[in-house]
Amino acid sequence: MYSIELKNVKKVFGKTEVIKGLDLSIQKGERLILLGSSGCGKSTLLRLISGLESITSGELFLNGELANSMAPGDRNIAMVFQNYALFPHMDVTRNISYGLRISHTPQDEISRRVGEAVRILNLGGLEHRLPRELSGGQRQRVALARALVKQSDFFLLDEPLSNLDAQLRGQARKELVKIHEIYHQTMVYVTHDQIEAMTIGQRIAVVHNGCIQMLDTPANVYHRPSNTFVARFIGSPSMNLFDARLDTGYMHLNGHEVRMTEGWSGKTALHGQPVEAGIRPEAIVLSAEPSEGAVPVSVQYHEDYGSRVGYYFTVNGKEVISIMPEDILNGCTQAFWKVDPKALHFFDAASGSNIGYPE
Amino acid sequence: MKIDFSEAKWHILFIILVLLLIYPLLFAVSTSFKTMEEAYSSSALIPAAPTFSAYERVFTTIHFVQILSNTFIIASIVTLFKLVTALFAAYAFVFFRFRWKTPLYFLLISTIFIPFTVTMIPNYMTLTKAGLIDNIYGVALPQLADATGIFLLRQYMKGIPSSLMEVAELDHVSHWMRLRTIVVPIIRPAILSIGIIFFINSWNDYVWPAIMIKSEANYTLSLALQMFVSSEGGTDIPVAMAVASLTMLLPLGLYAVCQKFIIGTFAQSGIK
Repeated sequence: MYSIELKNVKKVFGKTEVIKGLDLSIQKGERLILLGSSGCGKSTLLRLISGLESITSGELFLNGELANSMAPGDRNIAMVFQNYALFPHMDVTRNISYGLRISHTPQDEISRRVGEAVRILNLGGLEHRLPRELSGGQRQRVALARALVKQSDFFLLDEPLSNLDAQLRGQARKELVKIHEIYHQTMVYVTHDQIEAMTIGQRIAVVHNGCIQMLDTPANVYHRPSNTFVARFIGSPSMNLFDARLDTGYMHLNGHEVRMTEGWSGKTALHGQPVEAGIRPEAIVLSAEPSEGAVPVSVQYHEDYGSRVGYYFTVNGKEVISIMPEDILNGCTQAFWKVDPKALHFFDAASGSNIGYPE
Repeated sequence: MKIDFSEAKWHILFIILVLLLIYPLLFAVSTSFKTMEEAYSSSALIPAAPTFSAYERVFTTIHFVQILSNTFIIASIVTLFKLVTALFAAYAFVFFRFRWKTPLYFLLISTIFIPFTVTMIPNYMTLTKAGLIDNIYGVALPQLADATGIFLLRQYMKGIPSSLMEVAELDHVSHWMRLRTIVVPIIRPAILSIGIIFFINSWNDYVWPAIMIKSEANYTLSLALQMFVSSEGGTDIPVAMAVASLTMLLPLGLYAVCQKFIIGTFAQSGIK
């Protein structure tokens, strides 16, 4: 039995189909990330699970029970909102205990749960502050605490870290994983930030245009992207994509020939087919000196990120970016580029879906 | 000190306006301390021989305490009911989803633009049939709900982020408890100042009580004032001004205490 299961779920707002017949199964205690750019339908999907929006068609099961028409309050869901949704007129303790107080939980149980949440989220000493007297990071932790004390089966988070600065975000990511390891709720986490997705998620669902493009572990989403959308979306800077053609032992890439590793030569069915070849910027090796198989280019622009350097150049009118661990050109524009054949991804030229990898 | 004349001319204009506005007030208060002869012969703002005799006559010629409490009861009932009905209606218009919500809302708001004189006679006839003429509760009855209050409270409720209500929805909090524990505390300053305005409007109301009330025991303050200045009432101007001064005491006091809320409500919006 899945903890959360969606079967052919659709959501239509007016005439716009926001979720287009989507299937998704989430295991009990799993951390699942819904990752996508704004407007892709990921937040709507979360709201459909919570019941704050109704499903147009399809079925939603929570703990095996059909939940399409279940009231949000009956779904045993705790949710954290992007704007934290703290009650401005209640202090920290009263915000955290709100749901428990309304449901007439015994006072000693309320104190125990609130005390625990305050301790886990480092809110000690702030119990009697109003939300406006708290910093962004503290507000975010109060919102988390309020969701935790419910001890619900499902924990939904809608871009909970996007209003924090970068340093706090890194800290909050670790905190979230730590909290999940204590409570083991089924967690669905919406974000547009791929770092959050990669670090928090046990599985990532990449959402685009109301459909799931790929659902897999963070490592597979990065190393085995299912199609060109996922390939471009995950990773920063984006993966380079070229029109290419596979041949026995070689790949023809914009007039250059790249010698392939063994596994690929076995895939004779693909020989001669037009494909899209994807190469991560890290897999494009640039050097100042010529070497065997390296092709000369003229670098147009470079960016120094501190820990690594990015070089931009064009190959047959297409912009290519290469990332090197350090500046190897020292202001020079003449360079030679080479592709690491083990780091290639191939996609069907027509559908954009991944062709596979050598065994 | 350098005087900026371009600003000075505006200050002069405003000072004149303020004097024009405050003069009737000062006139009323000063006349209430004059004798009848002085009231007719002098228009000085400082009474030559200040006397409390007008105030004494107020308490001996009319049932001032009774009239004061009539006015207070009507204003309190009207204010309380207008606020409660407006709270419920505004909550429904903001947080419920139902068919024809927008058309119904605009229909309701359109009643603000119906002149009082249009509904005056039908209301009077209805209350006659109900036997509520010359009854202070009859005065209050047609004023228990009001679209202006619904309009104003709806504006404030719309400023509450929807995620706050959604947190409550996920916690299985009833609408009644959401109204009580979230909406009312957040918009409390607005409720207070709208309530004060309702109260003062009802306190100052003249035409409707004048139609409804016949006997002196049921009079309100504005009707009592008319006893001393109308053609049939008489011409005791100091007493009339004493009643006027007493009538404005409570609204002015209320405003003095709550002006922070009132100004705040009309100057800012929402909770941020």
